[in-house]
Amino acid sequence: MPPGGVMPIEKSDLLQGTLDMLILKIVTLGPIHGYGISQRLRQISQDVLLVQQGSLYPALHRLEKRGWLAAEWGESENGRQAKFYRLSAKGKQQLKKEESNWNRLAGAVTSILQTAQ
Amino acid sequence: MPSWKSPFRKLTLDRQYDSELHFHIEKLTEENIARGMTPEEARRRAALEFGGAEQIKEELRDVQRFPILEATLKNFQGAVRFIRKSPSFSIVVILTLALGIGANSAVFSAIDAILLRPLPYPEGDRLMELQQIHQRVQRPQTRLAPLRLEDWNRLNSTFEGITGYYTEDDSETSGILPEKIEVAYVAPRFFQVFGVAPTVGREFNSAEEQFGGPNAVLISYRLWRRRFGADPDVLTKQLRIHEHAWSIVGVLPASFAFPDRDAEIWVPVPPDAPPAQQREWGWYIAIGRLKPGVTVDQARANLETVQAQLGKQYPQTDADLTAGVVPLKETTIGGVRGSLWMLFGAVSLLLLIACTNIVALLLARGAQRQHEISVRLSLGATRFMVVCQLLTESFVLALTGALIGLFVAGEASDVFRGLANELPRVEEIHLDARILLYTLACSVLATLLCGLFPAIRGARGHLSGALAQTSRSQVSARTPLQWFLVGVQVALAVTLLGGAGLLLRSFQALGRVSPGFDPQNVLTLHITGSYGETADLKKLQSRIWRTLENLRALPGVESAATSLFLPGVPFAFQNELTIAEEQTDPNRKIVTETRVVSPSYFAAMRIPILAGELCREDIHSVNVMVNRSFASAYFPRTTPIGHHVREPGNPFLPGGEIRGIAGDAREEGLNREPAPTVYWCLSAPSPDPYYLVRTRTEPTAMAGALRKKIQEIEPARSVFDILLLEEHLNDAFAENRLRTILLTLFSVTAVSLACIGLYGTLSYSVTARRREVGLRLALGALQGQIVKQFLLQGLAVTLLGCLAGWGLAAASSRVLSEMLYGVSPSDAPTLLTVVLLMLLVAALAALMPALRAAHVDPMQVLREE
Repeated sequence: MPPGGVMPIEKSDLLQGTLDMLILKIVTLGPIHGYGISQRLRQISQDVLLVQQGSLYPALHRLEKRGWLAAEWGESENGRQAKFYRLSAKGKQQLKKEESNWNRLAGAVTSILQTAQ
Repeated sequence: MPSWKSPFRKLTLDRQYDSELHFHIEKLTEENIARGMTPEEARRRAALEFGGAEQIKEELRDVQRFPILEATLKNFQGAVRFIRKSPSFSIVVILTLALGIGANSAVFSAIDAILLRPLPYPEGDRLMELQQIHQRVQRPQTRLAPLRLEDWNRLNSTFEGITGYYTEDDSETSGILPEKIEVAYVAPRFFQVFGVAPTVGREFNSAEEQFGGPNAVLISYRLWRRRFGADPDVLTKQLRIHEHAWSIVGVLPASFAFPDRDAEIWVPVPPDAPPAQQREWGWYIAIGRLKPGVTVDQARANLETVQAQLGKQYPQTDADLTAGVVPLKETTIGGVRGSLWMLFGAVSLLLLIACTNIVALLLARGAQRQHEISVRLSLGATRFMVVCQLLTESFVLALTGALIGLFVAGEASDVFRGLANELPRVEEIHLDARILLYTLACSVLATLLCGLFPAIRGARGHLSGALAQTSRSQVSARTPLQWFLVGVQVALAVTLLGGAGLLLRSFQALGRVSPGFDPQNVLTLHITGSYGETADLKKLQSRIWRTLENLRALPGVESAATSLFLPGVPFAFQNELTIAEEQTDPNRKIVTETRVVSPSYFAAMRIPILAGELCREDIHSVNVMVNRSFASAYFPRTTPIGHHVREPGNPFLPGGEIRGIAGDAREEGLNREPAPTVYWCLSAPSPDPYYLVRTRTEPTAMAGALRKKIQEIEPARSVFDILLLEEHLNDAFAENRLRTILLTLFSVTAVSLACIGLYGTLSYSVTARRREVGLRLALGALQGQIVKQFLLQGLAVTLLGCLAGWGLAAASSRVLSEMLYGVSPSDAPTLLTVVLLMLLVAALAALMPALRAAHVDPMQVLREE
């Protein structure tokens, strides 16, 4: 991958969990629809992470089904009906767990990389 | 969540997907317009960027659909993989279940065919046996006079029709040799009541059902095949019975076997025949078909009213009679109900033991798989999904077991039919769709019983904890639950073994009784005779006398006798008698067993004459003998000899003078204490009594000579059922033997399963505690101590199980109490033996794992650290 390029999150097993975690994190900021989530991901990662809609929506529905996200239909900023997702209590716990796992893993990977240098 | 939602719901879901995705595309379009594209261009680019909306929708649908269909498929694949990965474990589970389910299905197929299904006639549940009951005699007199049968049929309002039958063993003489054939003599309406029609030809017409009409018979499918090669021209053929020719007018279907499997010819009895005009005669066993919707109680009440009415009309003959109605199925299956349900209970316990065994195996397995399950859970599987997956594994195991079990059941049914050919309706036992369904239900039940608990427990794993642990300490060494299950198995096995032990003991006790007569070297046989001969009793008597004399004259024959019943074969024939010399005293009831024998009977059976002399038989008077129990019960201070006994209500039997006292013999069954008995000395009580021949040499070698002699003096009659008296006695206890054999078989299987459970759990415990054992050995523990410790652990659990089993056996032995003889249901020696046996076998099963524990190599175990 060229430095500074766009990294698409593919539907690979490894990154699936990562995408879930990222979605949960973004949804903590308040109710938000699918389009908003993809926008925010792009903005916050400064255009590094690009989520295909083909991965995003199945992931959203899966998280909703597991009870980590709650969804309801509401009016969007331009007055149209949109489906808004927000974090459930269960989702909050899950996010906490995944964040700490990720941090441990990332810390471990980083320290290995540093030692190996 | 599941995909079986209503189509309506599916439609709204689809619409929701549409608008959610559409919203996204619109936002992209707006974004593009804001960048300065034309609306068309903006929309095109947005659609391009978004990708295939239809494909995404399909994936969203998949998210909803996932659990039921796909997950099930996946679970099945996983289950098959799991089974292939651990073949020995799977084979043990599958075979255990095959045995448990197979045995259960086999016994259920017998219960279904014999007890549950209606009789194999159209609406067979509406068929009733009608009995006439003499109120002054204890036993029901089921035989009905033809006139009364016609009265009942005419006057009742609850039956569609009432008919009757009696059977006779006759000789058919159209061939070279006379052939014995069972003939059913039937009253009018017989085939209408049963709802069967001949497969070939027709039923009797009204001319044939009238006195003096043409002779007509219907024959069985079997006879048609055997004698006529299934020739469709059979309707032109004739049979010869009683020196008359009878035209065959039809062949009955192969499935029709009433009155019994041996009936081959059906002959109509004209109700207007002169001998049928006496109300005293007892001819028929009556059968009626209830009108739709009528209950048995209503029919009984109705028939009682009818009979009460007849009692007023014919006070001489009908006043003492009343009527009874019993479903024909009940009288057909008789007393086997208790035995069958007992066996079903036993195989169900066996299945329960098998399931308990498998629960223990799965629990041990689950402990080993904790790691795998934790990985699944951490990868996002829900507990529900894991439980489903584990249950699917159990179900695939149970289903495979059930399929093999069906083969086991098929084989077992054949064995059962072979062992149980004395039971009613055994020929109806088949494996069919109902049994298949039952087996399937069994496997689902077994899945839930075996799999649910281990699955829930398995899915309870601690997420991060189990993942972090290394494999050596992940299995817990403490296995109280597994040990509890072993105890349960032992308890159930001891219950079964206790039952089997009691049955075996009573069988033994039965073999040890001294019957009071000598059944050895006695041949029994029948010679065909017809009830028509009773019209001339003198002629009948001289025929039987002549036969007996000829038999006695044969070299090798010690004595020959006739009797209405076989000694020692259970058959009670109770009567109330009066003594002619005594004042009628309502408080003195003389109830006796009745036997009708030739005077030579006592010598032939070696029953000693204790006092008085042997009865004589002459034309003018009747002599009787009584047994010792009779004398001591009713004449404790005097002698009965010289008194005259009468049977009130029996117009055919004049009073008889008591000539002597014979020794007590177990006439009414080897399992019954001798009751006060009166022997009426009549050689010809019926045209076809049992002939009892005592031989000096090997009795079976004499059969040919006997047959030849009878052929010589009675060329028109046939000899049949030549059997040893001892064989009759064996057959009489066939049901007894069958249930003893089967229960013993089941309990041995149960004990084996319990031992496998004990062995498995102890082995598991030894493996789990290898480190501890290795450490202790390294620290100087003796091998003997280790063996003792594990052995004692196994035996302690077994002992607790045995105690619980003793309690269970004592509680459940009431089920058996009716089937026991000479041993009490709570017989301590039997139960103690059973417990000791169980402990011994358990010790053997526990020894191997215990020895293995002692041979753990400390160095190796510690190196594994």
